[in-house]
Amino acid sequence: MLKITGLESGYELLQVLWGVDLHVDEGEFVALLGPNGAGKTTTLRAIAGYVPALHGSVTFRGQQISGMSPNKVSAAGIGYVSEALNLFPSMSIYENLLVGAYTVKDKAKIKANIDLVYELFPRLHERSGQLAGTLSGGERKMLAIGRGLMPSPSLLLVDEPSLGLAPIPTLAAFDALKQLSKRGVTILLVEQNVNTTLRIVDRAYVLEQGRIVLEGTGEQLLGDTHVQEAYLGI
Amino acid sequence: MTTATNLRTVPLARRFLTFTWGVVALVVLVLAIALIFQPSIFVDTLVTGGMWALMAGGLALVFGVMNIPNFAHGEMFMIGGLVSWVIYQPIRDAFLNDPKNMFLQVVGPIPGILVAAVVGFLVGVLLETVLFRALRKRSRDQWVMNTFLLTAGVSVMLVNGDRMVFGNDYRGVPRYWDVHSLQILGVPVAVDRIAVFVIAMISIGVFSYFLQRTRTGRAMRAVSQDETGAQMAGISLNRIFMLTMGLSCGLAALAGAALLSIFPNSPDVGVQPLYLAWYVVILAGLGNVQGAIAGAFIVSLLQTLAVTYLGLGWVDVAPTAVIILILLFKPSGLFGSEVKGVWEQ
Repeated sequence: MLKITGLESGYELLQVLWGVDLHVDEGEFVALLGPNGAGKTTTLRAIAGYVPALHGSVTFRGQQISGMSPNKVSAAGIGYVSEALNLFPSMSIYENLLVGAYTVKDKAKIKANIDLVYELFPRLHERSGQLAGTLSGGERKMLAIGRGLMPSPSLLLVDEPSLGLAPIPTLAAFDALKQLSKRGVTILLVEQNVNTTLRIVDRAYVLEQGRIVLEGTGEQLLGDTHVQEAYLGI
Repeated sequence: MTTATNLRTVPLARRFLTFTWGVVALVVLVLAIALIFQPSIFVDTLVTGGMWALMAGGLALVFGVMNIPNFAHGEMFMIGGLVSWVIYQPIRDAFLNDPKNMFLQVVGPIPGILVAAVVGFLVGVLLETVLFRALRKRSRDQWVMNTFLLTAGVSVMLVNGDRMVFGNDYRGVPRYWDVHSLQILGVPVAVDRIAVFVIAMISIGVFSYFLQRTRTGRAMRAVSQDETGAQMAGISLNRIFMLTMGLSCGLAALAGAALLSIFPNSPDVGVQPLYLAWYVVILAGLGNVQGAIAGAFIVSLLQTLAVTYLGLGWVDVAPTAVIILILLFKPSGLFGSEVKGVWEQ
């Protein structure tokens, strides 16, 4: 579904990615792991169109998407939940979700998706009139994921849902992603919480210094000596 | 450390809130007293306030969504008046030759006013696509400063361009609707001013509905709150910026056209409305559209009070003095940051 080959990307004076190859198949739950500064977020930003690709290609369902503007990538069916969340603080939860459905024309479908999000996160339903800027950290993550789901993306990119969350909301966020994956949403997840992530995903990549160094199923990587030494402290 | 700051900030924020509502309550009180003892103040405040609301609402919108302090906003007012004047002249000649034609006399001014709004919209779209989009592509460093200089330059060019093409004369109409004044609350009000008020109220209503309830209006607010988030939702920034600039300039041109009989058109007619709109926007809090609409009525009340009790020369002095006082107590503007949420709801 998503295929990245030899992707090189970065910022004005700093190249971050030095040839990333990865692919995500339909219905898969894939994680991209690695230390700080490895280029995980940059990879997602490059897919979503926020940083330009210098070399290499990103294709989505056979369509070349590198070089597209972010709103076009979104319209092509790729949802992106950023690390910063980028919610609309002076809008209510409900309005945030409505804006998330900007590209959806069918009113019945918008309503169905809002119901889906409320079912997944009952907390958002209870507080639907509350302004996003007044929500707690965990609720903000839920809202960001919910907003990302509104256009019914076929692929959801999620950047560090555990960042800044206490253990219990972190588990809740992972749980929600797992549920989404069971419902058939393809997910590419960026995480630093290696242990928990490897237990819930189908497959994972390890990114170090802008290159993919390891690839395998969750179990394979949990048993890998490099992963154990570098990330699990075993 | 954190507890100490919390203890300090919580009551401060609350005091600001009450201050804002105190000012609003005072304005409402003064208007109520005026309604009973001096209805002309009440009527004048509403009539002029409506027009400043159109100017200031657009100015606040462009600042909020695009972060552009538009100093060419007054020239949109000028362009609106000019377009309406050009279109109204032949219609006026036609019914002066045929004074019995009531239809021309009643409907005559409307095409000019409508076309002015459309032309204003197109000029706004042109400004965005030709100037701001090009600048945005090059660099967004120092954006507010650069766009301020750019709009100031556009203003100078438009004023002198108008002077070059149409000359330095005043181009006005004594009245759009040349009929007797109506009595409202015992105050004679020219039909022109009633029309101005009606146009302002309809436009403000449509404008607010558009921002609050429609998909595109919601997208505009989304862009003003988080550009990246808006892009994630599939919103095209370029499209929203184009519409925002167009809408803002269209409203200013509409105001200029509707007020042609009160502000006869000349190259620099936009200067006073521009500064008034800025008073309002600074008073209300930068980028807050609903605050600006409320602020417009506060400024127009101050102006009316100054004209009634101090004399015409004080018309700009009184609002500025009060705004300085208010900003001393609340630098972010009456409806700035803290209460923005309340207004957004």
